[in-house]
Amino acid sequence: MKGVNNRKLLFVFGPITGLVMFGAVLFIATFLTDREYREPDRVPVAAVDQTPRAAGLADETAAAEAANRAKPYVEAEYRRFPGVGSRVAIWAVAQLHLLFAAFVLAVPIFAVLIEAIGYKTGDKRYDRLAYEFTKLLSVSFSLTATFGAFLTFMLIALYPKFTNYLMSVFSPTFLPYVLLFFLEAFFLYTYYYGWGKFHPLVHLGLGIGLNVVGTGIMLIANAWLTFMMSPAGISDTGAVISVSDAITNYTWMPINVHRVIANVAFGGSVAAAYAAFKFLSAKTDEERAHYDWMGYIGNFVAIISFLPLPFAGYWLAKEIYAYSQTLGLTMMGGAFSWLFIIQAVLIGNLFLGANYYLWLGMGRVEGAQPFQRFVKYLLAAIVLCFMIWATPRSIIATVSEIRAMGGGTHPILGFLGVMSAKNTAVNILILTTFMSFLLYRRTGKISTVSWAKTGQRVQLLIFGAAAIFVIFLGVYGYFVEASVRIGLSVPQVSSVLFAMVSIMAIDVFLYRKPRETGITRWGKMPAVSQYVLIFIAVTFTWLMGLMGYVRSGLRQHWHVYGVIRDTSPDAFTPTLGFATQVVSVTVLIFFALIGFVFWLASLHDLPDYGAETQASHSHGPVGAPSVDYARGGPELAEGPALAVETPGEHGRIS
Amino acid sequence: MIPLPARIGLLVLISTAFYTYVGQLVPQKEVQPPQETVLRADLTTADMVTVGRQIMEGKGLCLTCHTIGKSGALRFPDLDGIASRAATREPGLDALEYFAKSIYAPDAFIVSGFNPGMPVINKPPIGLTDQEILCVIAYLQTLGGTATVTLQTSHRYYTPPGATPGAAPEEKAGGEKPTTPPAANEPAGAPTAPPAVAPPAKKGEV
Repeated sequence: MKGVNNRKLLFVFGPITGLVMFGAVLFIATFLTDREYREPDRVPVAAVDQTPRAAGLADETAAAEAANRAKPYVEAEYRRFPGVGSRVAIWAVAQLHLLFAAFVLAVPIFAVLIEAIGYKTGDKRYDRLAYEFTKLLSVSFSLTATFGAFLTFMLIALYPKFTNYLMSVFSPTFLPYVLLFFLEAFFLYTYYYGWGKFHPLVHLGLGIGLNVVGTGIMLIANAWLTFMMSPAGISDTGAVISVSDAITNYTWMPINVHRVIANVAFGGSVAAAYAAFKFLSAKTDEERAHYDWMGYIGNFVAIISFLPLPFAGYWLAKEIYAYSQTLGLTMMGGAFSWLFIIQAVLIGNLFLGANYYLWLGMGRVEGAQPFQRFVKYLLAAIVLCFMIWATPRSIIATVSEIRAMGGGTHPILGFLGVMSAKNTAVNILILTTFMSFLLYRRTGKISTVSWAKTGQRVQLLIFGAAAIFVIFLGVYGYFVEASVRIGLSVPQVSSVLFAMVSIMAIDVFLYRKPRETGITRWGKMPAVSQYVLIFIAVTFTWLMGLMGYVRSGLRQHWHVYGVIRDTSPDAFTPTLGFATQVVSVTVLIFFALIGFVFWLASLHDLPDYGAETQASHSHGPVGAPSVDYARGGPELAEGPALAVETPGEHGRIS
Repeated sequence: MIPLPARIGLLVLISTAFYTYVGQLVPQKEVQPPQETVLRADLTTADMVTVGRQIMEGKGLCLTCHTIGKSGALRFPDLDGIASRAATREPGLDALEYFAKSIYAPDAFIVSGFNPGMPVINKPPIGLTDQEILCVIAYLQTLGGTATVTLQTSHRYYTPPGATPGAAPEEKAGGEKPTTPPAANEPAGAPTAPPAVAPPAKKGEV
């Protein structure tokens, strides 16, 4: 009886949900349209006796109609969104659109790279991994497009005059944008549904096409938003002089580069969160091994992309200053300066989380003990750098505390609040994380090349020299004039980049054919490691929301900085506390939606309805590989050895 | 045992709540857009000093970068005592003309040890009016000197309505141009009285 009731319930569930949602849409539409004043319905004048009162009403109606006909067209400048106001509504929708767009742009980049590794090495595990990443794309693409359309309608409805202006400037870019969007849909769905159906090189070509087109779309959209921040190609009053100058404005290319890197970092972290979710819900060791590996690679992609991100950030900030000192100083020294303390907390957490995950990962490799003793020193370095980076220049203090300090700046800690200290801290933080990764990479391996000791000494020398050089420049910055000090960040960044590239290059040759001292037991990770991956994804998402706010909020009371002024009631810059609340709400909505995407992607692995009984006798879900997790090494190139049965000629698992 | 989706949801919720909490710990300041102001034509020099200080702290954003009375590794020149230095900073320019040039053409002369970086103040996004800039100059004159400018003072970048273009007052012996003197019993540079507000009272008017 219970089963029958359940079936009935399931049968009506879909239609009822549809009706409820339809009712909700109807309610919202009615609510919005009812806010407009309408004349009350009256009996037609001709149908009643022409009493004096009726004649008066008729005259009144005729006068109202005449007035309506004579009403001149006036373009609305702003419209108010009920409840939260127009700015917050646009903010939330734009942020959600950007988060999904970032994910959709990022995943194909590393999916194609992983697929190419699989093709080059002939290892089907990579092919399957790339496919698994790609599975997350199709629904995300639809959500991106939906939020994009939503954002467009909201802009037209709420900021009609300003949107009209932007359209007049950028109208030549719209047709290419739409064309690229069509192409993106073509490439994405062909890439996804064509997995295993084409020659591998053709399929890889589709993936590359998807990336090229996706990047093209991003470049166009970035032109619109960077124009608002650093307008170019227009007269003082906003008249268009050169569309190409408007596109290639000051901050366009730095934003392009910054976004590509940040998107990959963000996409990698969200894909790792998906793997963590699958790991935690896995029923078999094989599944756990696979999703442990997937999570590791997702996190690897996120962190390796994250390391150069501060450098791209420097460049962007430099261009912002170059365009307008006022804009730069609003960012770093004005209304938004405290936002960077919040950013320091987020980035500190990202570094801590990423390092902690790597240290936990050492536990899955036999023979990791020699390296684990370094963890406490790495942790100490990270915590120290984190504390320096998060030290504000001026401290929130009571009047008596300010008197005791002799001003708003602490006599000792105040020295840590300036850029010389912060730049040094973040560079050492990056070097430390790189060291963690290097140790993890070596776990369970011994180099067999004849020059192993010399190579390791050279690596240590480069690392030590870079660290000393970075600290020296940081201290030197306190003793030189501003014009010299500003330039010191470039050699700091360059030395760290040089150290990472050269040490990695040596390492690749050092451990080309190593002697294995222990096996990697993929899947043998504590559950907490998977929650760390989810925490990293949340932190990345929140960081994107926060930095998106500062980039857009910098314009303060300008739609187009210095040209089109925002005269709406929302023209003020809200408190950072309010901004963080909006960011949090968008992050929660994003995770609710991405959870839906994860769930949909998981359905793919489930057996067909009715085949559950049959499937329960087999190992794991349909398409899950059997894993020999006693083989396989600890690094990217050596994931779990999967005995994959590939239904498609290109290794498709579905 | 809490189901997995609930555990993950809880983690997401706690993480975002933590970052929101961090966001509440930093100073909370709502920045309103600058109000359009109309200066009364009969502002005294003392009033102009007060207004100039307000503009430097607010609409002009001057004190975002410049400091008054700080030393050490500064990014922009400290303004303490600027009035005394301005008279001799550039050959051929007295203090008034130096101040005007610094504000209207900030990159034309860069103080040694500093990088160019000051925006043009009389154009958007800051967009101070010529009268507001005169008020800023009045305040700057009090930093190591005495305010002498009035709203009728002219310089090479601005000639007040009714004044003869280029008819700048003659130089004094000390290189200082005689500007319209402050009214008697109004000690210039003593910003004690609040600025006069032109009727009818308009929001943001000073």
